[in-house]
Amino acid sequence: MRVEYINPFVESAYNVLTEVLGGEVKRGNLFLKSATKPVLGVAAIVGLAGEVEGRVLFDMSKPTAIKIASVMNAEEMTVLDDLAKATISELANMITAQAVTKLHELGFKFDLTPPALITGDNMEVSDQEVEALIVPMETEHGSVEINVAVRERS
Amino acid sequence: MKSKGDFPSINDRPPEGSKPDGSPYRVLVVDDSMFVTKQIGQILTSEGFEVLAVAADGEEGLNKYKELYPNVDLVTLDITMPKMDGVTALEKIMEFDKNAKVVMISALGKQELVKKSLLLGAKNYIVKPLDRQKVLERIVNTLK
Repeated sequence: MRVEYINPFVESAYNVLTEVLGGEVKRGNLFLKSATKPVLGVAAIVGLAGEVEGRVLFDMSKPTAIKIASVMNAEEMTVLDDLAKATISELANMITAQAVTKLHELGFKFDLTPPALITGDNMEVSDQEVEALIVPMETEHGSVEINVAVRERS
Repeated sequence: MKSKGDFPSINDRPPEGSKPDGSPYRVLVVDDSMFVTKQIGQILTSEGFEVLAVAADGEEGLNKYKELYPNVDLVTLDITMPKMDGVTALEKIMEFDKNAKVVMISALGKQELVKKSLLLGAKNYIVKPLDRQKVLERIVNTLK
């Protein structure tokens, strides 16, 4: 997978997380995972289809998701309820929209699916024939992993 | 000892959400994200606007507009929604009431749809993530 696909997602995740959380966000080191990867607990998934195809996963632990939703709603939340889930989906939406604008400017043409939120314990994600690049973003509420597995349509 | 009169009043400004006669501007919020409707609702009510109704898709938004007409002063309309998208809902609202004041809410990267909406009669647009200042500025300008 080409690194230029993940950079726009990392940049826009940095921008959006900094803006909505108002604190410091640090970019961790990029790593590659070709085998099955466990999901942290709450994952928003957005599909890409077009000249570039695959999926982007915004992966975080449940406590991190609840804390981020609390900050974005300016109220203390204790459970991952419908509002918290809508908040994390919207976060994924905002990050993806910004990244896709950049990718479109670079000349890649594709459409997106609305984000789906997956929650649970001991989940794994398997990507066939395409490896995933992962960049963890460290926020003061915990880590949000940007997990991108896309390829050019053959 | 300082008396009340020693402090300058910082609250002389009337809230942005009030009409010249003091009654609130009434807003219909159309968005499929509960997070966004809540966020817009909080920003608007804190400035004295009244959120008259909330709709979760374009079709519901259109029906609510017709039902509440002529009591809606402004509509915020998300672009990407299930059942009926915001651009189609805008077109139908404008067909029904050519004086409707609609502000589009868009994610980044939808320039073409925003442009189309403005040509169809939307008065303004706001790009997410939403912040208080941006939302109030665009909405107040639209109502002027």
